[in-house]
Amino acid sequence: MSRNLYKLFNYSLLKISLIPLMLWIISSLVFILLRVAPGDPVDAILGSGANEVSREILRSKLGLNESLTNQYFSYINDILHLNFGLSLSTQEPVLNIILKSLPASLELGFFSILSAMLIGFPMGLLGLRNRGGKTDYILRIFGIGTYAIPPFWGAMLAQLLFSVFFNISPIGGRFPVFEQQPQITGFLVLDSILTNNISALKDSLYHLALPSVTLGFLLSGIFSRSLRVNLEKSLKSDYVNAAVCRGISRKKVYLNHALPNSLLPIITISGLTIASLAGGALLFEVTFSWPGIALRLHEAISQRDYTLVQGIVIFTSLLIVTLNLFVDILIAYLDPRIEY
Amino acid sequence: MKKKVLLSIFIILISFLQNSCSSKRISKKIIVASSGKIESLDPARANTLKAIQLISSLGDTLYELNSNGELKPKLASEMPIISKNRLQIIINLRKNVFFHDGTSLNSNAIKFTFDRFKKIGTMNYILGNKIKSIETPSEHSVIINLNKPSSSLNGLLTSVNLTPISPTFYKEYSDKFLNEKFVGTGKYALTSFSNEVQLIEPNLNYWGEKPLNNGINFVGYSNSSSLFGALKSKQIDVLLSNSIDDSQRNSLNNLSKIKKFKEGNSPFTELSFISLRTNFYPLNNRNVRLALAKSLNRKLISEKVSYGQRIPTRSLIPPILKKDYQAYWPKYDYSEARKLLQNENYCNGNILRIPLTYRSNVPADKLIALTWQEEIKNYLKDCITIELNGVESTTVYKNLSLGLYTAVILDWTGAYSDPEAYLTPLLSCDEIVEGTCKKGESVYSGSFWGSNKVESLFLESENISGNKRLDKLFEIEEIAANSIPYIPIWISSQKAWSQNNISKPIFNGAGIIQLSDLELINE
Repeated sequence: MSRNLYKLFNYSLLKISLIPLMLWIISSLVFILLRVAPGDPVDAILGSGANEVSREILRSKLGLNESLTNQYFSYINDILHLNFGLSLSTQEPVLNIILKSLPASLELGFFSILSAMLIGFPMGLLGLRNRGGKTDYILRIFGIGTYAIPPFWGAMLAQLLFSVFFNISPIGGRFPVFEQQPQITGFLVLDSILTNNISALKDSLYHLALPSVTLGFLLSGIFSRSLRVNLEKSLKSDYVNAAVCRGISRKKVYLNHALPNSLLPIITISGLTIASLAGGALLFEVTFSWPGIALRLHEAISQRDYTLVQGIVIFTSLLIVTLNLFVDILIAYLDPRIEY
Repeated sequence: MKKKVLLSIFIILISFLQNSCSSKRISKKIIVASSGKIESLDPARANTLKAIQLISSLGDTLYELNSNGELKPKLASEMPIISKNRLQIIINLRKNVFFHDGTSLNSNAIKFTFDRFKKIGTMNYILGNKIKSIETPSEHSVIINLNKPSSSLNGLLTSVNLTPISPTFYKEYSDKFLNEKFVGTGKYALTSFSNEVQLIEPNLNYWGEKPLNNGINFVGYSNSSSLFGALKSKQIDVLLSNSIDDSQRNSLNNLSKIKKFKEGNSPFTELSFISLRTNFYPLNNRNVRLALAKSLNRKLISEKVSYGQRIPTRSLIPPILKKDYQAYWPKYDYSEARKLLQNENYCNGNILRIPLTYRSNVPADKLIALTWQEEIKNYLKDCITIELNGVESTTVYKNLSLGLYTAVILDWTGAYSDPEAYLTPLLSCDEIVEGTCKKGESVYSGSFWGSNKVESLFLESENISGNKRLDKLFEIEEIAANSIPYIPIWISSQKAWSQNNISKPIFNGAGIIQLSDLELINE
């Protein structure tokens, strides 16, 4: 075991050592792409009415008059010192902006994954139980259907139905506009619990419900399908047959033998989904006016706020790379078939 | 039977949820929503309509424009006194006016505000080099010394960017922005600020009339559908239309007609136009420009795109600034357009190709372009082809002065309420070579059009005032209309809708809604 752990440690170190290289490639790509893209932050800030003198003054103030090489080296140097700089449009530290918006995205991502699992897993199990039956076919169509629905359309439909037609859900935002939100960690549900504020907890869950359940619903198809397929594969395997022959109850065979093995690919899928949601569900955040990191990135791109776009992309890349690393190590630890 | 039971349970569940979960008014504050977020409450930085709207409730300007566009003193105690040589303006201030931090408004505060804006204001180009210095001869009197006579300064004095702020509170921020706080003299004081939600409450020490409500909660949604849905489901009280889709504007307008909502309109001040690149083939030919102008069916575009909500215009100056409205620009007449093109050897197998650029992130622009393209296909197919090209607005602004666009759809709202604020940014030029502008405002508007006569008229207009000055400005427009560097399309207004239990939103002459006049009427 200790030998295995030692190998796993080496394997993890190898994976970790690749992170700086990946981040350097990502940050350089972002830098180049932003400079190649047409448009200029000065125009975005001043609009079309400003004269050339004002433009030049602002350009020099923002450091955009420097050569690209100088800009690049200063940018890489800042990143190495964990300094993401100031937003070109607000002059606020980029890290502050990221830390303010990230909890909203993570909260939405967490509850969406939770909803997706709560909807998807029972459906996968139900489909397998009724293998080849009417329910199985309906659930298969559901799984493929939810996966195929464009998220923006699903979000708009849910908003129209539940917020406008039935009027049982807020149209957008994270918290009622007439109340002060608790501010400790930025995660409103957690902050409400920490401050023992039941009313704030109700309000934050009320605002979180529609976007997270809708996103969870759209993601549930992939969870349902993968559980259904992998569990079926496990149930047909020799070790399950052996367990059945040994007289172990069907329930125990399901829970102790087949399910843990069929969960391995689902961990990979969950990891990738969580990683992508950590960077924000862009279309959901725009539709539900959810003040997360994806909405902020969307605004920063339209304002050509180079420093903010760079900061958000690098930060979310770091988050995604770390989550993927965690999933890789977890899978390597859990799956004896993986060699390292 | 089983299905009926399930359906009944579903209906009961929905009814229960509707009664228990729908948002209830638990505050007597009014919720005002608009699109986007507020990045900064610093008047030196504010350049979005939403920020300007909020700052105008938190602070007072020296003067304001009433709904007829007339100048009225606000923090000033009387109209400005202008010296005979028009190089000095004396402004006397109202006494016993206090900032939200308790300090009193005085001439130093005005000097501090103007100097700070000149130093760090992102839009400080609107002051240009007009102001030479500001003197403070007494506590409540300010003298503004000008470099040259300027007839537009009155308009500048109403600018929200020059809203007086407390020098004590902003001491540390004389050369940098303060984004999340605001200390002015306005009817409301800021109680909470985030980019998405801002809460304001009545200023108990306000010098003038008190607000008719207990406070306003400002909220931003990131898209038009959310705003529309929020008003329809009564989750908000007032909706400002700064970027709501035309179809939704029309729907709300129709609902207002049947008394579902109350609708308020600002004066029509936002001009949409097509900028023509006059220094390059084929639009360096005036007759071709004239033919294009005559092929534009404004009425059809207004009806198809804006459902008649935006007014077709043949002038660069909004009607509110032009008492005897005269439209100088060419009328729609496709048969005349055909004749003009035939005279220039187009038609008969030689088709004029016009690349038309529109801002892809402005839905109305694309619809204008498509409608014009279709109209030309119907009547002038053998003479003109319009080739559409959608480009994001930030890129359009960047490339305008590089002369990349033969024809491009743009819009413009004057920084202050004066014809000059519409003519100068579109027509003025610093360096003209053979009728082409090499350097100046018309380069930044993409037309590259210049006229020495227009420049001399601009200079003359700065030395006179009243109707004589207006005549000069109208003469400038007439000259431009004959050369057609632009084609005006329509003029739009801001709109706001309120629920029936809230009073009707009222706009002032600068297109700002009077939040203090909003009142809950069915409490």
